[in-house]
Amino acid sequence: MDGSSITTRINFRKSIESMDRRTTQHGSLLFRAHPFRSIAGMMGFACWVIVGVAGSGVAEEPKPVTFARDIKPVLKRLCVGCHGPRKQLGKLRLDTLDPDFVKGTGAETWHDVLNKLNLGEMPPKKAKQPTTAERRMLVGWVTRELQRAERAARNTGGRVVMRRLTRYEYNNTLRDLLGVQLDFAENLPPESVSADGFQNNGSVLGISPIQIEYYLKAARMALGKAIVTGPRPEVFKHHAIKSEKIRRVKGPVSSRLGPDSRFIVRLMKFPREGEVVVRVRAHAVVPPGAGVPRMRIGMGVRADVRAPEKTLAEVDVANSAPRTFTFRGRIESFPLPGHNPKYPGLQVTVYNAYEDGRPKTRKKKKKKKKKAPVEPDPTQPLLVIESVDFEGPVFDAWPPVTHTRIFFPTSGQPTERQYAGKILSRFMTRAYRRPVGEDELAGSLALYDKLRTGSPSFEIAIRDVLSLVLVSPEFLYLVEPRNGSASRQPLDNFELASRLSYFLWSTMPDDRLFQLAGKGRLTDQAVRQAQVRRMLKDPRARQFANHFADQWLDLPALDRVAVNPEFHPTFDDRLKRDMRDETRHFFAEILNADLSALNLLKSDFAMLNRRLAGHYGVPLPSGGDMQRVKLSEGSHRGGLLTQGSFLLSNSNGEDSHPIKRAVWVLDRLLDDPPAPPPPDVPDLDPSRPSLAKLSLKQQLEVHRKKEACNNCHRQIDPWGVVFENFDAVGRWRTVVTGPRKKKRGRQPVDAMVTLPDGRQVDGVTGIQDYLVESKSRQFARALVKRLLTYSLGRSLEYSDRRLVDSLTRGFIESDYRLGRLIVAIADSRLFLTK
Amino acid sequence: MTQPSWKISRRTCLQGLGVSLALPLLDGMVHGDQKARQRPRRMCSVYFPFGVAMPKDGSPDRQWGWFPTGIGADYQLTNPLQPLASLRKQVTILGGLSHPKGRSMGGHDTGDTFLTGAKLSGSSFANTVSIDQYAAAFVGDQTRFPSLTLSSDGGVGEPTRSTTLSFTRSGRPVPALASPQQIFDRLFGKGDGSTESQRRRLEQSGSLLDLLLENSRSLKRRLGTRDKKKLDDYLASVRAVEKRVQQSQRWLSIPKPKVDPKSVDLDVDQKAPREYLRSMYDLLFLAFQTDTTRLATYMIGQVAGATTIANAFPACIGLKGNWHGLAHGAGKAGGAERLGKFDQFLAEQFGYFLQRLHETSEGDGTLLDHTLVLYGSSNSRTHQNRNYPLVLAGGTGLGLKHGHYRRYGNDVPLSNLFVTMLDRIGVPVKGFADSTAEMSDLLA
Repeated sequence: MDGSSITTRINFRKSIESMDRRTTQHGSLLFRAHPFRSIAGMMGFACWVIVGVAGSGVAEEPKPVTFARDIKPVLKRLCVGCHGPRKQLGKLRLDTLDPDFVKGTGAETWHDVLNKLNLGEMPPKKAKQPTTAERRMLVGWVTRELQRAERAARNTGGRVVMRRLTRYEYNNTLRDLLGVQLDFAENLPPESVSADGFQNNGSVLGISPIQIEYYLKAARMALGKAIVTGPRPEVFKHHAIKSEKIRRVKGPVSSRLGPDSRFIVRLMKFPREGEVVVRVRAHAVVPPGAGVPRMRIGMGVRADVRAPEKTLAEVDVANSAPRTFTFRGRIESFPLPGHNPKYPGLQVTVYNAYEDGRPKTRKKKKKKKKKAPVEPDPTQPLLVIESVDFEGPVFDAWPPVTHTRIFFPTSGQPTERQYAGKILSRFMTRAYRRPVGEDELAGSLALYDKLRTGSPSFEIAIRDVLSLVLVSPEFLYLVEPRNGSASRQPLDNFELASRLSYFLWSTMPDDRLFQLAGKGRLTDQAVRQAQVRRMLKDPRARQFANHFADQWLDLPALDRVAVNPEFHPTFDDRLKRDMRDETRHFFAEILNADLSALNLLKSDFAMLNRRLAGHYGVPLPSGGDMQRVKLSEGSHRGGLLTQGSFLLSNSNGEDSHPIKRAVWVLDRLLDDPPAPPPPDVPDLDPSRPSLAKLSLKQQLEVHRKKEACNNCHRQIDPWGVVFENFDAVGRWRTVVTGPRKKKRGRQPVDAMVTLPDGRQVDGVTGIQDYLVESKSRQFARALVKRLLTYSLGRSLEYSDRRLVDSLTRGFIESDYRLGRLIVAIADSRLFLTK
Repeated sequence: MTQPSWKISRRTCLQGLGVSLALPLLDGMVHGDQKARQRPRRMCSVYFPFGVAMPKDGSPDRQWGWFPTGIGADYQLTNPLQPLASLRKQVTILGGLSHPKGRSMGGHDTGDTFLTGAKLSGSSFANTVSIDQYAAAFVGDQTRFPSLTLSSDGGVGEPTRSTTLSFTRSGRPVPALASPQQIFDRLFGKGDGSTESQRRRLEQSGSLLDLLLENSRSLKRRLGTRDKKKLDDYLASVRAVEKRVQQSQRWLSIPKPKVDPKSVDLDVDQKAPREYLRSMYDLLFLAFQTDTTRLATYMIGQVAGATTIANAFPACIGLKGNWHGLAHGAGKAGGAERLGKFDQFLAEQFGYFLQRLHETSEGDGTLLDHTLVLYGSSNSRTHQNRNYPLVLAGGTGLGLKHGHYRRYGNDVPLSNLFVTMLDRIGVPVKGFADSTAEMSDLLA
């Protein structure tokens, strides 16, 4: 094979490997939305354009299609008669249309051609028709070339584009810079998602005037909290040993809290700003067989009937002897009464949020007895409250550290302006995450000079100048300037510190990283590796686990599915949050306990709380926190593929959706997504009675008999049918449930499939074993690619392939340890250069 | 120190605009009694995704088809638009219109171009200006906020799945607001402190933004091409804010309208679509009533079922299935009714908005007769980028004539309607996107 055809092959392969997520999403969305009540419904969108090979799923690899050899003759025979030198019907001429989508200008016209082909409008019915194979080849070629052109348009030459901090990075950074914990990103618009699913992609992160406005507002607000003026504010304290009785509050009020009862503290005097502390002295009384009680603290307006409140904290209480629990929060984050409210005062409520793990059936409304029995159910755990203390605002000192960190004590007797210079220099260094230049400092001082004359105080003038720093591009973006030359340049120590900290902590570097960067030590491999290991052990690494798991596995999709209560009457919407947490904790556990990443495919443990375990029907852990649960043989659980986050978000809220599940597995776990469906596919005739009696699997088989559908769907369907033992909300079943049961009656679940490579596997256990045994290498490569993408903040390109290969090799050699992969990424040339 | 080049261009730009702005500007500053002399003209566009139910004429479920039966002045409303029956003299139903360039785009790709008429190509996805932003350049200075951009999803989304209807003159998406509380605070919330401290703050913002622009120039020199582009986006945004700050200074002495927060349910979210849509419409209504802005867009949902929060709206109000699913099932037995019921729900909320505008008097008429409201989708049947289902309401005081169901052929681009709308609200317009003419048949 000559060199050029190898290149074609590779490009071709690559364009399929990283399918444009926009279109994939389009596809999966079509499916997501699909009611899937009948095969006809599914088929309307189930027609995926076949794009040559579909990767690993196919045993044989067809020869790549080329324009000159394959496409041109077909066009000449079928199209050029009307769209050529003699006639240009529809003003279209195909014989001169540039087949190079990237360099030429014909891509849009080719796109029109594709649509006509997909719709079957061209060639016209009366004219000579292409064979099925020819039509498929044409559609495949145009689709693939379009995708390649899109990718080329996105290509950033292997460089990270100066990237804005994401909402969560901005929030974390402001918190760490100022030491104030509030939701600063509240008003910022949600982020767009890159083609490969990530929010932190520099090319995709945009900016608009409204963001600048809210950045400025947030900066002023945050600085207003950090910097104090005037005397120490009055501190309010409250001590309660008995709950308030409030007439209109439903449910019992007590010091011995069973589930559904509460302990209420009412404060008529409270601060409106600053950090507050709530201390609860409590213990648990746990009857045999029950779990431990869960304490939830709510704080908010005392509205008596419907109390708007937010949760301050939620913890399991296991101690049988009294212990003091301390919680902190900013009072501004909670709903506070307005001026002159109908019900004045602040209310702090302690709940026993215990869930026994039995799925709740929807209760019929019972008539309330006039005097509800106060005695709690003896089978339920009790939360016994001895006292509740409220104190606020609390300060470590006055002025507080947030203030003195900015207005630090100086030696000597600097003039006000000299002091301003020192303050600005120190603050800007931390905010820009690097030493600041003389000219930059001069700019800020010039503003200070301008503002100082009109300001009531030195502090206020400084505060206003600092708000400039916090809307500067050097703060809002990760800037890595270059010195003109086109070749790759090594990052400097400070840029490296930022890359590391935004990769692993989603926030600015800490003092240690700054120190090492200042000494130029981070370019030392041993030092850097030690830092990566330290960072992974730090609690802030949870940011990495959460955000990476969220974006890689699309966990927010859970919130976009509405569960239909008709078919899932016991489903409690809080389970969606549990499912997200389950997957986040599961990923974090594999990372932190240094387990093989193959556990993601199949594991003998799960991370569950009592409510979710009850939903899944596995042995219950003791409380509401996610904890590691050993799974027994035959529990049908273990690994991402058995988790609600995957199963529910790839359902339609009523029943499972095998195609959506298949696309998720192929895309997210194997990095081999099928091509999206054509923009429009006519529906199959829904009234065919022959379809109605068939099982789902049989329906899909009928569907695949249509040649146009078969080529894609034989590669897709099996990957989803294997999960049929899980219903829409992720519970195990052996007979079909939901709408299909309603329509067709009781049918056993059939989850035996033949995979594209001819292997027969049965159900979820079968596919898990298959993935671990036969696809571990492909899975490893997929994970490496996603992790590298996230770490760099840009999409991968062809030139990155070698690094992906070598990282994958190392990852497999290290027995799939994520920690070592992360160290290797942080040591890689792409990570260390710009 | 040399004059930064951008300052020159900004000034030149303002000079250029000054001529056309002179009159409306004065008018904008005149409040109170004299307001009646020249009443504000407004324009609002509301979009919903996935198309509507369209059973064939004569089929038993035709009553659940979105388009009326009959034609012209004698049309009969079917069930979905029944909530608009009492407003018959205030609305025109339009059939057959679409953006010619949208016809060859993907079935889910046309939400972005509903108000722009652009062609999003397979490789670059470059959009063009939307009618509201086009108008804002001419009449936006007359109000405290040049325009208001809302959507149920918020933000900008991704090209072809944008979560906003508004695009700037350079085709960049304008982020939409989604939280009723945030919208209320932005429009009607009290500024911090006294007028004096606000003035100080605004002046500060001015110098601050000035300095930002200046500082960034040295940074720019050290950046690569792509980074420069990012920084340019940033600087363009800063300039736009600076301009708004200048505009705000003019408005400082005029207090923000006092709106009772209790008049809108701000404590709602997208999980309760009825309440949520009403609050969004209430906010649009209040923004118009108080003349806080005259231009608004609201995207009820974007066209990606997998990512739009609106996909769950039908299920949240107790209908079965999600929106995208209902739309796809509309051709099946009983499907038209299932989707039609949701179409009706949407029309009910829209009717509520129109009714509020209609019942509120202004000058010698009502708010509605000086407000043009466009409502519709860029799909007829789902995935079909032709024959947009559209309602044009209001504006009888601006020369509009209603009470008809009008149908057009493929030769009439939707942009013709935009030309007429822009012209009626006093925006100088020769043509818009691919327009070929005005639509004079809509005028009295």
